[in-house]
Amino acid sequence: MTTPALNPFLSRRRALALGGLAGGVALTASACSSGSSGSGDPNTFEFWSFTGINQKADVESYKKLAPDVTVKLTEVGNAQETAQGLTTALAGGKVPDLVLIQAGDLPKFMKNPGNFTDLATLGADQVEDDYVDWVMAQATAKSGEIVGIPTDVGGMGVAYRTDLFAAAGLPTNRDEVSALWPTWEEFIATGQRYTQASGSAFIDNAATTVFLQAVSQGTEQYYSADGEVVYDTNPVVKDSFDLGLKAIAAGITAKLESFSDGWNAGMAKGTFAAVAAPSWMLGSIRSAAPETEGKWDIATIPGGSGNWGGSYLAIPARAGNPKAAWAYISKMQSPEQQLQHFIESGSLPTTPVNYDKPELVDHTDPFFGDAPTGKIFTQAVLGLKPFLNGEYNTEISTELLNALNGVEGDGAPAAAAWDTAVKGIKTAIGA
Amino acid sequence: MAATLTPGTLKGVKPATATRPVEKRWERLAPYGYVAPFYVLFLVFGLFPLLFTFYVALFDWNPIGDKTFVGLANFQQLAADPRFWNALKNTFSIWIISTAPQLLIALVLAQVLNSALLRFATFFRMAMLLPYITSVAATAIVFAQLFNRDFGLLNWVIGGLGFEHVDFMSTPVGSHLLVSTMVVWRWFGYNTLLYLAALQAVPRDLYEAAAMDGAGPVKQFFHITLPSLRPVIVFTVIMSTIGGLQIFTEPLLLSNGTLTCGTARQCQTLSLFLYEQGFGSFKFGYGSAIGVALFAIIVVVALVNFLLSSRLGKKG
Repeated sequence: MTTPALNPFLSRRRALALGGLAGGVALTASACSSGSSGSGDPNTFEFWSFTGINQKADVESYKKLAPDVTVKLTEVGNAQETAQGLTTALAGGKVPDLVLIQAGDLPKFMKNPGNFTDLATLGADQVEDDYVDWVMAQATAKSGEIVGIPTDVGGMGVAYRTDLFAAAGLPTNRDEVSALWPTWEEFIATGQRYTQASGSAFIDNAATTVFLQAVSQGTEQYYSADGEVVYDTNPVVKDSFDLGLKAIAAGITAKLESFSDGWNAGMAKGTFAAVAAPSWMLGSIRSAAPETEGKWDIATIPGGSGNWGGSYLAIPARAGNPKAAWAYISKMQSPEQQLQHFIESGSLPTTPVNYDKPELVDHTDPFFGDAPTGKIFTQAVLGLKPFLNGEYNTEISTELLNALNGVEGDGAPAAAAWDTAVKGIKTAIGA
Repeated sequence: MAATLTPGTLKGVKPATATRPVEKRWERLAPYGYVAPFYVLFLVFGLFPLLFTFYVALFDWNPIGDKTFVGLANFQQLAADPRFWNALKNTFSIWIISTAPQLLIALVLAQVLNSALLRFATFFRMAMLLPYITSVAATAIVFAQLFNRDFGLLNWVIGGLGFEHVDFMSTPVGSHLLVSTMVVWRWFGYNTLLYLAALQAVPRDLYEAAAMDGAGPVKQFFHITLPSLRPVIVFTVIMSTIGGLQIFTEPLLLSNGTLTCGTARQCQTLSLFLYEQGFGSFKFGYGSAIGVALFAIIVVVALVNFLLSSRLGKKG
């Protein structure tokens, strides 16, 4: 139940929501906060979420568990816009009682934990051990406050079209397909085989499906464990960037930015045959190309494990009704409910106690050729050594992705791409 | 000509609508009360934000964290920031290639709509406003689809003619043209109606007299029409300057909502850059500095435009 952590692309619908924002952020913020959460009604609270992840379903199921509580859900915009709206609200507007923040935006808020209710005071210290430790650690401030409770993690995989693979003479069985690409080099080589046989593109784009996945697999990304900016010295970043360039040079990409109109259309038309798919992406594929049901399957990601994305629920410090919001969090993010949510939506739980439950391990998804999604994504997360997300993760990532997209789509010279990105980052963050 | 009343003719005659001498204090103050709402609203929503922006620009200000006074450092940083100059260049480029055609088209169309030969004139005049009253978001969706690289109608034609598909948003020239086309589409009708209203206020006898004196249509246009339109041209030029330099929604929506508007910021305008810094990177101080710079640029350009356009049609 999240959107991409570092997503610089928006769907049309999200762009529309942003168009609303264009009218004035303050206006949006106040319009969104016109509810009565501050009025003191203990059974009503206001919840800001982002679009595209169907929080409505969660709110609906909460109605069954707590029928006397009214949840006023507002989908502010995409994840980035929701974070921006929250920023404006925290800076002086009317805040919601509960807000969903994606993992990539969290570090900016973690810098000033005073803006949020320390969930430990509401009982989070009792349940924090229920969650994956490194995911929980990202939402715990240096001074010990618990800012958020993790709703899901984005264990990685590769979704591929079995019909297109078969037509190109590639194996279709998910274990055989996984065996095709233990490494990213072999992934690109497979792509070349596919493109030669079929004459069409193998992946949607190199920036997200190759670079962003590869760079999310290291134990260190743009920041070192002690918070130093290391994107320009960390070999993982440069190597992943070069992999992206290599995929572009191999001519296997459809040059379609993730979540764009062309991407949605291309998904349905089979313009590309494979796409990086963390657990939450399955929902995007389902809604972009509903008519492709049953033609998909899911293989493991080259390089084994990794995480892309994830979200947290937090309560602003000035919330009018923090108790009702916490009641919602503790109920809906309990291990049992997270498992339930996985069965309904496919987002991977953050509660390890679920990771060997048969309901999760044996779960199969008919849309994706009955792939055992729970098992695949759990393995991706279990083998993970997490990296630190820093304050400017989004800015750094945006510049790197832009440089790659520039080479891929706009014909920028590949040899200068890395320098362009580094220069852009230095201007953006001053380091 | 009506007889002119001079003070002398009033002597000894009590005016029919004499005002009572103002005695009560509240009666003297009442007019101020009537106009007060505008000024109060202006103070709260106009002047205060403006001054506050100047103030914020002097700080390193995290909206949800600390603020530190840094003086003019934000402006120094701005002057050295290639992204700022890039955004400035884009803004001017888009503004020029949208404003000039838009006002020219409006001028020509207003002439056509004002022609006595035109049938169904009311229908055409009403139709002029259609693009203007359509929401920007809806217009952007249509334009994005028309100009889409893979599935757009325009590229379908281009492809049909045997040429390579054009990715308009990927190059500075292409994206500026696309954004400008959308701006022109949205605003030409609005300006046409303004010009039309001004044209209809020009006395017919001026043209008749000119025709009698042997002036052709071109001479009439330059010596009667243009001078009569001068006030409204000044108005539209100033308004287009303010609107054009603040352009935000069109590039944002056409680029799928990316605040950088393209991988190399090829269509990022000053407003987008401001928004990116202030609300994307949480740099309120820096964002405000961009806002102040934008304000100064608009004032200067509007002033220059005012001087230029008010000379229009004057004998130089």
